[in-house]
Amino acid sequence: MSIHTLEVLVENEPGVLARVAGLFARRAYNIDTLVVGPTENSEISKMVIQVNLEGHSLEQVMAQLDKLITVISIKELIDGAVKSSKHDTQPDYQN
Amino acid sequence: MTTHVPTVNGTAMTGATSLVKSLEAAGVDVMFGIPGGAILPAYDPIFDSTIRHILVRHEQGAGHAATGYAQVTGRAGVCIATSGPGATNLVTPLMDAAMDSVPLVAITGQVPSAAIGTDAFQEADIRGITMPFTKHNYLVTDPNDIPRAIAEAFHIATSGRPGPVLVDIAKDALQKQTTFTWPGKIELAGYQPKFTPDNSAILDAAKLIAQSKKPVFYIGGGVIKANASKELAQLVEILGAPVVTTLMARGAFPDSHPLHLGMPGMHGTVAAVTALQKADLLITLGARFDDRVTGKLSTFAVNAKVIHADIDPAEINKNKFADVPVVGDLRETITALIPALKAELSKNRADLTPWLASMNNLRATYPLGYALPDDGSLSPQLVIERIGKISGTDTIFTSGVGQHQMWASQFISYEKPRTWLNSGGAGTMGYGVPAAMGAKVGAPDTTVWAIDGDGCFQMTNQELVTCALNNIPIKVAIINNESLGMVRQWQTLFYDGRYSNTNLDSKRVPNFPLLAEAMGCVGLACDNPGDLDATIEKAMSINDQPVVIDFRVHRDAMVWPMVAAGTSNDEIMIARATAPDWDSQEL
Ligand SMILES: Cc1ncc(C[n+]2csc(CCOP(=O)(O)OP(=O)(O)O)c2C)c(N)n1
Ligand SMILES: [Mg+2]
Repeated sequence: MSIHTLEVLVENEPGVLARVAGLFARRAYNIDTLVVGPTENSEISKMVIQVNLEGHSLEQVMAQLDKLITVISIKELIDGAVKSSKHDTQPDYQN
Repeated sequence: MTTHVPTVNGTAMTGATSLVKSLEAAGVDVMFGIPGGAILPAYDPIFDSTIRHILVRHEQGAGHAATGYAQVTGRAGVCIATSGPGATNLVTPLMDAAMDSVPLVAITGQVPSAAIGTDAFQEADIRGITMPFTKHNYLVTDPNDIPRAIAEAFHIATSGRPGPVLVDIAKDALQKQTTFTWPGKIELAGYQPKFTPDNSAILDAAKLIAQSKKPVFYIGGGVIKANASKELAQLVEILGAPVVTTLMARGAFPDSHPLHLGMPGMHGTVAAVTALQKADLLITLGARFDDRVTGKLSTFAVNAKVIHADIDPAEINKNKFADVPVVGDLRETITALIPALKAELSKNRADLTPWLASMNNLRATYPLGYALPDDGSLSPQLVIERIGKISGTDTIFTSGVGQHQMWASQFISYEKPRTWLNSGGAGTMGYGVPAAMGAKVGAPDTTVWAIDGDGCFQMTNQELVTCALNNIPIKVAIINNESLGMVRQWQTLFYDGRYSNTNLDSKRVPNFPLLAEAMGCVGLACDNPGDLDATIEKAMSINDQPVVIDFRVHRDAMVWPMVAAGTSNDEIMIARATAPDWDSQEL
C-alpha cells in the first residue's frame, strides 16, 4: 500500500467534484478519502485527496489530474517532494 | 482560429444571436449539424449568419465531418446538435476526436434550465456523459456566459494537445436577452500548456542522440498536429537515422524517403517493427506508446533508451519510462533540437552504417506485399494500391476501420501531412464517409477518396445524401469482401475459422451502386481486375457529383504482417504461421 495525500485547488463550480471523482474512477485510481472545503477565495475550493496508488505512479496521477481544466494546482502533502519511479510502465495485457 | 473583436460588441441581443456572433468571432466558416427543439433558437440566427451550416443526416456524421475538416485544415471543426438523442449521437465522434487529439467544438442545446434534472423531454446529461472524453465541457445556463464559453472552448480545443470541447446551452439561455461581450485574451488558471521545451532537456536529448549507434525516429500524429513535418525532415537528414511513422502519422514524413521504414505496430512492416525492437534509442516525437504499437509492453524495445517529446506531460512515463522527457510544442522542440544536435554531432558522431545496413536489408527482404487471388478475382490490396497510384499524392484519403484501413495505410504512398485521415485510437467504423465529407469541405479543390469497408459503409453512408445535395463531390471506394473482414481474419487465426456473425452477404444485399444512385451519387461496380484502372479513371473524371464504386473483392485476403494482440513484437508474422527468417539477419 502506498497512500499519498494531495491538496488540490479547483475552480468552485458545479460539476467539479464529478470531474475529479470521474477521473479517479475511469483511470482506476483508488481514493481512500476525499474532503472538499472552501478557501479564502470564494471562486476556489480546496480538495484534500488520499490516493492509494496500488501500481500507479504518483507522477501519473498528478499529471492526469492536472489535465482537468478546473484543477488549478496540485501539491503533495506530508511526504513533501514528489519522486517519479523509474518503472511505472503498465502491466502486460491482451487487447 | 482567427479571433477578432466583433463590431457587435456591447449590443443587446438574444443568447442565440450571441452564440452565432461568438462562433463568427471565433473565425468559424462552416459547421455541421441538425436542429431540434432545444437548439432551435440558435437556428434562427444561423439562418442569417455568414457561417455555412451543412445539414447532415445523422449527428454522428456531423461529428466525424467536423473531425475530417479539422484534420485537413488544422482548425477547429464545429458540429451542432439538439439535446437528448441529438447530443448522444455526438458521443462517438467526441470520443474518437479525444483519442486522436482532434480540435473539435460541439455545441448542443439543453432543456430549459428550470427543467434540468426532471427527466424532461429530450433531457440527457451530455456534460456528464462526455466528461471522460472531452478535453473540457460546459453547461451554460446564463446567456451572459455564452461568448466566454465559446471563446474558451476554441482556445482549449486548438491549443496544447488538441481535443474536443463540448458546450451545452440551456434553451432559456438561448432565448433570453443579453448584452454581447466578447472576452479579450483568454487566461485560465488551470490551463497553461507548455509550448517551449526546457533547454536542458533539449541538450540531454541531443547528447543521447549523438551517442546512439542504433537510433530510430518513432513518429506519431503529434508531428502533424504541430505542423512540424518540415522541421522533422531537417532533423532526420542531419542524423541520417531510420524513421517509422505510426498509423496516425502517415504522411508526417514522406514514404518515398530512403530512411523511411514504414509503419510500426500490429500491422507494421517487419523493418519498422524490428527497428523499434532492436534500437538502442527511440527518438519519440508526438507518439504515445499505444498497445497497437508496442505489442506486449514488457518486451517492447527493451534495450532502448527513450527520448519522449510530447506537448502533453501526462503522456510522459504513462506506458514507457522516458530517460529524457521533453515537454513542449513539437515544432519548437524539433527546431531547438536541430542546432543542439548539430553541435553534438560535430564533437562526436557514432557510425550508423551497420545499423542502417541491417534495417535496409530487412526492408529489402520483407517488403509489404500480397499474393493475387488464385481464381483471378479482384484483390483488395491491388484495388487500393491502384487508387493511390492513379489519384496521386495530392489526394486526401480517409478510411473506415478494418482490413481496408490497414491496406490503405500500407499500400498508398503518403508524401504530405494531412493527406491520410483515419480513426486510429478509437477504431470507429463509419468514420470514412463523413470524415471525407468534412475533408472535402475543408479542401474543396483537392480530390478526396474514402477507402471504406462494406461493413463500415453501411454505418454512415447516409451522409452521401448530404454530399450530393451540398456539392461535396467525394469519391468512395467500397472494398466489398462481403464480410466484417478484420473480425473474420481474427476468427480465421484465433477461433478455428468459426465465422460467427461476420458474413455480411453484401455482394447480394445491398446493391451498392443502386444505393449510391438513390442518394444522388454516381454508382459504379467492378469485379474484374481487367476493368480496375478504367473504373478508377471513370471515377476520377466525375467531379460534379459524389461517386461510389463497389469493388467486389476476394474475401479471404488477410492483413500481413501481424503481431497478434498481447504477443511481443518479436513474434511478428509475415504470413500465417510464418515468422521472418531471423537467423539470416544480422541485427
Ligand atoms: C463501431 C464499431 N463496431 C465494431 C467494431 C469492430 N470491428 C473492427 S473492424 C470490423 C469489421 C469492419 O468491416 P468492414 O467495414 O467490411 O471492413 P473490412 O475489415 O472487411 O475491410 C469490426 C466489426 C468497430 N471497430 N467499430
Ligand atoms: Mg468488409
